[in-house]
Amino acid sequence: MNAIQAEKLTKEFQIYQSRKGLSGAFRDLFNRNYRTIRAVNEVNISIPQGEMVGYIGENGAGKSTTIKMLTGILQPTSGDLKVNGFDPHNQREEFVKTIGVVFGQRSQLWWDIAVQESFTLLQKVYRVDNQKLLDRMIDVLNIGELLDQPVRKLSLGQRMRCELVASLIHQPSLLFLDEPTIGLDVLVKENIRQFLREMNKEFGTTILLTTHDLTDIEALCSRVIMLDKGNIIYDGDLTRLKQEWGEGKKIHLELDQEVSLSHLGQLTESLPVTWSKNEVNKNLFTAQLKGNSITASEVLSLLVTSGVPIHEMQIQEVSTEEIVRKIYQEG
Amino acid sequence: MVQLQIFGQYLKQYMKARLAYRLDLIVKFITDLISQSFNLIFIVVVFGHTKQLGGWSQAEVIFIYGYFLLPWAIFGTFFNLWSFNDRYIIKGELDRVLTRPVHSLLQIIMESMTPESLIGVFTGLAVMGYGASQLDLYWAWYDPILLIVFTLGGVLVYGGIFIALTSISLYTDSKTDIQPIVFNVSNYGRYPVNIYNRIVQFVLTWLLPFAFVGFYPASYLLDRGDWRFYAYLTPLVGVVYFAIAVLLWNRGIRHYRGAGN
Repeated sequence: MNAIQAEKLTKEFQIYQSRKGLSGAFRDLFNRNYRTIRAVNEVNISIPQGEMVGYIGENGAGKSTTIKMLTGILQPTSGDLKVNGFDPHNQREEFVKTIGVVFGQRSQLWWDIAVQESFTLLQKVYRVDNQKLLDRMIDVLNIGELLDQPVRKLSLGQRMRCELVASLIHQPSLLFLDEPTIGLDVLVKENIRQFLREMNKEFGTTILLTTHDLTDIEALCSRVIMLDKGNIIYDGDLTRLKQEWGEGKKIHLELDQEVSLSHLGQLTESLPVTWSKNEVNKNLFTAQLKGNSITASEVLSLLVTSGVPIHEMQIQEVSTEEIVRKIYQEG
Repeated sequence: MVQLQIFGQYLKQYMKARLAYRLDLIVKFITDLISQSFNLIFIVVVFGHTKQLGGWSQAEVIFIYGYFLLPWAIFGTFFNLWSFNDRYIIKGELDRVLTRPVHSLLQIIMESMTPESLIGVFTGLAVMGYGASQLDLYWAWYDPILLIVFTLGGVLVYGGIFIALTSISLYTDSKTDIQPIVFNVSNYGRYPVNIYNRIVQFVLTWLLPFAFVGFYPASYLLDRGDWRFYAYLTPLVGVVYFAIAVLLWNRGIRHYRGAGN
């Protein structure tokens, strides 16, 4: 059984459009203009148990709407949806026992009571008594000292770690994370990622991660689903994404003496390479390799055999962030 | 049973958080007392000008008012839904509620209840007691049981109407000001309905049945037979209105569109 199985999942909203000016407002009283907006358009998603999947898209692409349908908060307009074998909205109370949810920008904990009390309350709500797991999570995320403080007094990083524990208190098989590392410092981020990897490995927890921070996805997910204007525009391996959309590697060279750009161009005529020169330091050059058909070593061997004096060199992989930006810009 | 346990847990947590603000608790108690006394003074002032009000003496009107405070206090304890729109819809806390395995309405009731409002029950009993001491009332052995049943019926009427009004927020994003209006209407229920115009009587009995919260049951306890039939209807009206409200609520949850991010 797939953890998530969605076919032609669609969500439409009726948006009320107000007319301009006072007379427009008056007309609105009697005859309202509605416009139907498809936030999510016939999306197919299938995610097997135990996978960690990154779900990315620009603001307003329909990410949150999808997550809300998958978690049972919203009812889909049309399409088939089975999550953990349940119809999320119609079997909500049974269904939500099998999932965990962290919305980074909203607290899942009770604001006024101590963290420990929130955990106790959640254990009752979910009817679980799994103190061993709880203790371990507290230990791994290092929040032992925060337990007797009310949530409103915690810093963002502290709160987020508590949120994670709260979302996993009933050991759900599927975890939804919406921007879990937004605004956190590097150490906390790493701590959280390590923790998620551990949970996934040990309990086979399926994780669907929505984020703007692509380093999260690089660190955790092997698969990524990309959404734009309510449609899935990419679904597959992260590495394949890089191969298909990546511009190719860059080679940064520091030479012992200044060489003209045209000379370098001539040397590598047979290869799809474009050269550029650093404006400030005349000895720095960058070769942009097109596509993945050639390797850096081919370029370098040509240069070395022609006696170009290389002092220092560095090969730069394309970052996922650049790829994603490029995909969105080109549509 | 399980729901009850969870309820107990929420109550415990609430008390813990609440007892941290002792001053707050005392202030609330005092303001509550002051507002009740104002209402009593109003009754006394009215009867300074007249001996009877639609055939009711001062002591009887005070008794009705005291009775009304019982369902009112219990309603205020559990159905504190005034800030629902701001807190759950606009701030989006309903999203969190919907990802927990307990009925959404029950969760919201548990999260926003104010047990200290139950003090009002004692105020009500005291006011009733004072009214009764001026009267020669006959108490049958089953009257205290009926008192409890009527009170719970009244709570259901009150709760039902306000849950129904609150669920409007689930259907539309815009704020409605209908709650305070209906709230004002609810105050009519604590005076004898026969002093009002026929239309108002009809509204208070069948549309916004606030007369079942105060007047009808109280008149029964005052041994006035004319409204006995209505008094007996109290629990039924309560259950019907509450059931309709829960249906509206459940339908509203299907309509809920979620807060934007």
